[in-house]
Formats: sequence, structure tokens, C-alpha cells
Amino acid sequence: MNIIMPQLGETVAEGVVTKWYKKVGDAVKADETLFDVETDKVSTEIPSPVAGIVAEIVVAEGVTAKVGATLAIIREAGDAKAAAKPAAAAPAVASVAPAAAPVLSQAPSGRPRVNAADRLSPVVRRLVAEHSLNPSDITGTGRDGRITREDVKEFIARRGSRPASAPAAVAAPAPVQAGQTVAFNGIRKRVAENTAKSWQTAPHVLQVAEADFLRVDQARKLHGAVWKAREGFSLTYLPFIVRAVSIALGKFPKLNASLQGDGLVLHRRINIGIAVDLNFDGLVVPVLKDVPAKSLPQIAREINDLAQRARAGKLRPDEMTEGTYTITNNGAFGTVITAPIINQPQVAILSADGIRKKPVVVESDGGDSIAIRPVGVLAQSFDHRAVDGSYSAAFLAEVKNAIETRNWEQALES
Amino acid sequence: MAELTYRDAVAAGIAQEMARDERVVFLGEDIAAAGGVFKATVGLLDKFGPKRVRDTPISEQAILGAAMGAAMTGLRPIAEIMFSDFLAVCWDIVANEIAKSRYMTNGQVQMPLVIRTANGAGSRFGAQHSQSVENWAMMIPGIKVVAPAFPADVKGLIAAAVRDDDPVLIFEQKSLYPMKGEVPDGEYVDELGKARVLRRGKDCTIVALALMVHRALAAAEILEKEHGISCTVVDVRSLVPLDTATILAEVALTGRLVTVEENPRLCGWGAEIASIIADECFWELDGPIIRITTPHIPLPSADQLEDNTIPSVERIVREIREKID
Repeated sequence: MNIIMPQLGETVAEGVVTKWYKKVGDAVKADETLFDVETDKVSTEIPSPVAGIVAEIVVAEGVTAKVGATLAIIREAGDAKAAAKPAAAAPAVASVAPAAAPVLSQAPSGRPRVNAADRLSPVVRRLVAEHSLNPSDITGTGRDGRITREDVKEFIARRGSRPASAPAAVAAPAPVQAGQTVAFNGIRKRVAENTAKSWQTAPHVLQVAEADFLRVDQARKLHGAVWKAREGFSLTYLPFIVRAVSIALGKFPKLNASLQGDGLVLHRRINIGIAVDLNFDGLVVPVLKDVPAKSLPQIAREINDLAQRARAGKLRPDEMTEGTYTITNNGAFGTVITAPIINQPQVAILSADGIRKKPVVVESDGGDSIAIRPVGVLAQSFDHRAVDGSYSAAFLAEVKNAIETRNWEQALES
Repeated sequence: MAELTYRDAVAAGIAQEMARDERVVFLGEDIAAAGGVFKATVGLLDKFGPKRVRDTPISEQAILGAAMGAAMTGLRPIAEIMFSDFLAVCWDIVANEIAKSRYMTNGQVQMPLVIRTANGAGSRFGAQHSQSVENWAMMIPGIKVVAPAFPADVKGLIAAAVRDDDPVLIFEQKSLYPMKGEVPDGEYVDELGKARVLRRGKDCTIVALALMVHRALAAAEILEKEHGISCTVVDVRSLVPLDTATILAEVALTGRLVTVEENPRLCGWGAEIASIIADECFWELDGPIIRITTPHIPLPSADQLEDNTIPSVERIVREIREKID
């Protein structure tokens, strides 16, 4: 194979070979540094594109050669022809014109060559991340082994009904041992990037309110059994919280917003993202759109549907975009408060931790008494650049008020 | 349905609108007595008389100046610029006057005028009579731009353009004038701003305009039969307004975009579509966007050179084969 002067920039026409790392007769491995080249723009090491024996060095150290000119000949294993070929081709230097495209296309680029299988197209990256796949599990059928969109889709289809992230991925944590490094999957990487970026750019303020879920509980108790039988899933607290938040966001538009430059873009639509944990293996945020336009039962059904499909890796991409506010729910493990990180470019996020029975002082005309009430914690992190504490507090009071005073039984019947 | 040529569809579209609305008038060089240098307006003078179908002096500025004045004072003129290259002669009237007057008068002045022009290469007319300049028009805010590929679209888009209250430029591809196709009988009106999906495949989405639509279709046929590559073909039809919804949806389905343009490469209309796709469809792309264009050179008039310059069926097949895996 002829080693030629690579194109090291669009406007660069020639370069100087400043150093050969191999002599004639030396063996060279693929991607092993073969020579240094210097142009008026860069100085760089060039790796050998193939493995073989250096059969001839055409351009000596210190000599200038045009882009595309033959610099050396490497005899690849089993390449008898190259071995037999005399020094023929290019007599030394400059005269070999870069002219024809085929010559240039053989040129090793200045950078080390990238394995096609490692170079993923945007849609493949997205699919891999959404389905928590490991690209190295997928056989690429595209050019040079590239993984195409079809390859990923086929891989997902072949895997059949098995929920995307579940068994394999969840079984994985078991064999993890201390001392081992666990490589991030695509979703983990995105979560890492997004949370770090949010934490670094947005001054987070945590504010916490308590709400009495008595009326919500009563509505759930009254309708729960019928609901479960009819809908096939349990009526949780979450739809009620989502409805209450959407009501409050309607009154506090600065929390239904995005920061842009020196201003706040107030969104017309109220689209609430629901953080869904993928069995300890990442986090996705499907978005419930236009919440104010939806009835409470509709909200409950759609949240259930989104969460199930999120866990099965079957969300459509447009179901994870256009969120204007996010709710996360870590209640299952009995935590008291979680200080959530804002889902950029939004300006606030609410964590609803567990709702637990607590003794509460109930004030009445007949005097104070202690009652057992289901109390939930509403913990909101807001971006202090967007709003101040009093605004956030007033918003939380509105959420609390909605939860405590709405006629939820009626809402469930709509 | 009748089978008409693309050129007959021009006359049919104009006649339909002139018969419907007597405010519609038609003017241009050699369009009346001679029936047009491309014979696309034969019979209109006889049908509608010299007051409504007027030959003009050889002055593009006079044609468009008159048309603009007529539009401002209540008529709905159709003006012909014989070769689209000549738009450069009267570009001030197009880009600064016709395109801006409705806006600058806050809608007090309407500009319901249509400029038809013969565009594009393939007929050996040389560098000054063969250019595809629909991209010039596309980049001027204030005018609508269409470029039909089929006789039915010619008739329907002329009708839609005449009925629109904004100025519309219609780029007719001059090599398509002899082409035949089914055209709906009777009154037929199309819609501005709609692309059309002509064929669906799974490997890539070819977006093309005017003459290139036919070449893209032929290439898609060969790619499917001989190389197992199946292509969607979208006829853009209207550059302004641009039917981005259709284009985005079709590209998302295949994950690959190929634009086939007669425009010279720099700032051809496909560049704008590539930019929109990169902005709004990035996470659906399964490979780089491919633009197949005329190179950035003046068009040669010699047969073989011209054939090698604008995208051919063979070149579309070759480039897609080389770049789609």
C-alpha cells in the first residue's frame, strides 16, 4: 500500500515529513505511529493505516511533499505484488499532483481511524439511549460494520417482549463487585451530563411545604376499588398532585417557564414531566402534555400508560419533549425529603416524597385536637435566577391549597 | 381527466382563471400573437382579446412595473418573464417593490400578481438562459414561490397563485414543456405550500423539485430494482411557503435525507431544507444529509457538458448507492 501525504486541512496543499519512526524493512502495526508531518497549520503524528513491512521510503525526512504524494510503500502481509513492485511509482517528491479524488480518499486522516461500528448516527444514539442498549451487543450491517437504525430496531424486535431496560439490565447490578468499574449506559450518561450541567448553572433553592392529603385519601378510598377493577391499575396520589400542580402553575406562570438569555420564556402550554426510574438503571422523563385540558381520570390513565411504556422502553421521542415543569416521586422507600435537581431548561421541579400518617394538630372552634392525617411533603427546587423564594412559596401554598380543598371525588367522576 | 402537455396546462390554467375573473390580465414578451416562445400560451389572445392578453416591448422592468401597478389598482395580472435568468434585469421591482409593498402599507395595498417564468437547464440555451433561480426568489421575504413538476400541478398552482392576494412566482421548468400528463377537467385549483409524497420507501427520502422530481423518480425505480435501496420521493412543489411538516415527517420515517437540486450548490434550496432537518430532525437521522446539485459553475451549452452538469438519473443512483448503506 502506498502511504501518501494526508490532507491536513482544507487549504493545506503540502507538508514536510519531519520524522520517520520506521526504517525500510521494519515491521509496522496498523495505527502505529509511522511518521511526523508538519504543515503551516499543524504538526502531527500520522499512524500507519495498515500492518506490514516498510518496503520503501520515498520522501526522506525534511523534504516537502504535496498532499496526495506517495511518501512510502508498505508491504502488507500476503501482498506479493507490492513486494515485487520496484521503486517505480513516484520518483521522490512534489510532482505527484493531488489531483484525483481516488488518491485522496486513500489518505489516512490526521486523526486515528475510527472503527465504523463505534461511530453511531444520531438516531442510533437516541435509540440506544432510550432502550438502554449496549451498542457492542448489536451487529452492524451497514458499511464497514456501521450500526444502522434498522439494526437497532431489529435488535429490539428480536429481544421481543422483554422490557427494554428490565431483566438483563437489572440482573446486572447483582454481579457488580466492589473494585469494579461499571461503564455508564446511554441513559446514565445523559442523566449524568444533564444533572451536572443543571447543578452547575442553576442556583438551586429548596423549599418544602407539607400538605394534608385527607380529601385525596377519601376520594381514593371511595373510588379505589371500582377504579382498580375498571382500569386495571391502582389509583395513586400522583395524578392528584399533577392536577394540583397544574392548577398552581396556571396562576404562577414564572414557574412554567424556561430561562433564555436575560429573560424568562413563559410557556403557554402546561406540560408536566414525570420522572420514571428504570429499575435503578437510569431515569427518563415522559411528559404529560396540556394538563389543564385533561380530566383527572385522563391524567391518571395517561401517567400510568407513560410510566409503563417508559419502563418497557417504548416511549416515542415526542413523548419526552416539550416539558415545562417536572415532578419526581421517591416516596416508595419512605424518604422524608428529596432535594431534586431541576430538569433544564425548566426552572423548577417538585419532589413528592411519601405520604404518611402523622399526628396533626387540628384547630377548631371547640379547641385544638390531635388527629391522624395522611401528610405529604412537597419539596420544590427552583432556579433562583428565575424567581425568588416568596414566589415559589406562594406557588407551593397554592398546590397545598388545591390538594387540601378541591372536591376530588367530583373530579374523579368527570 | 384529459392528457395535456405541461405547456398546454399553462394555457389551460391561465384560461380557466381569465374566464372566471375578468380582473385577470396577462402580459409579457411574445405571449399574445406568437403564443409564447415556448408555445405555452397559444390561443389566449383569440379567446380573451388584445385588451386582456398583451404583448409588451422587450423590457422586463416595463412588464413587471405595469403588472405591479395593475395589481395595486385592482386587477389580478399574470406577467411572464420569458427566461427566469432575466429576473435579474427587473429584480428591484420583484425584491423591493412587489415583495414589500403589502407589508410596508400595512395591508392597504394588495399585490395579487403572478409572475410566470421559464426556468432551468436541459435545453441547450447556455449560461444566461438555463439557470435555475428559484432559490433567488426563495430568499426574498414577501413573495411565494412554486415550481410544478407535472401538468396537473401547473394548472392547479397557476389557479391557486392567481387567487392568492400575495405575489407568487411560478417557475416552470422549460425542459418539461413537452411532457404529458393527466390534468383534471373543469375548474381545478391546487393549494400553495403543499409538498407531495410520490413514492414511499424505507432507506432514504429524496426531496426534489421540478425536473429533478422526474429524475429522482427514475433513480428511485433503478435503486429499488437493481440495488435493493428503497426510496421515498417527495415533490417539494412550493418553496415558499415550504411544507416542512411533510418533509420532516418523511425524513423521520427513513432516517436519511437526499436533496436533488438543479440549483448551483451554494445556497441552493436544498441547503435550507438540510438546515431545517439538521435543526428539527437531528435525532432521527441515520447518516449524513446528501445534497445532489449542479456544481457552482455557469452552465455550459454544449450537449454533453450540460448533461454532465445538472444532476442526471445515473448520478443520483450513483451518489445514493455510494453514500447509503
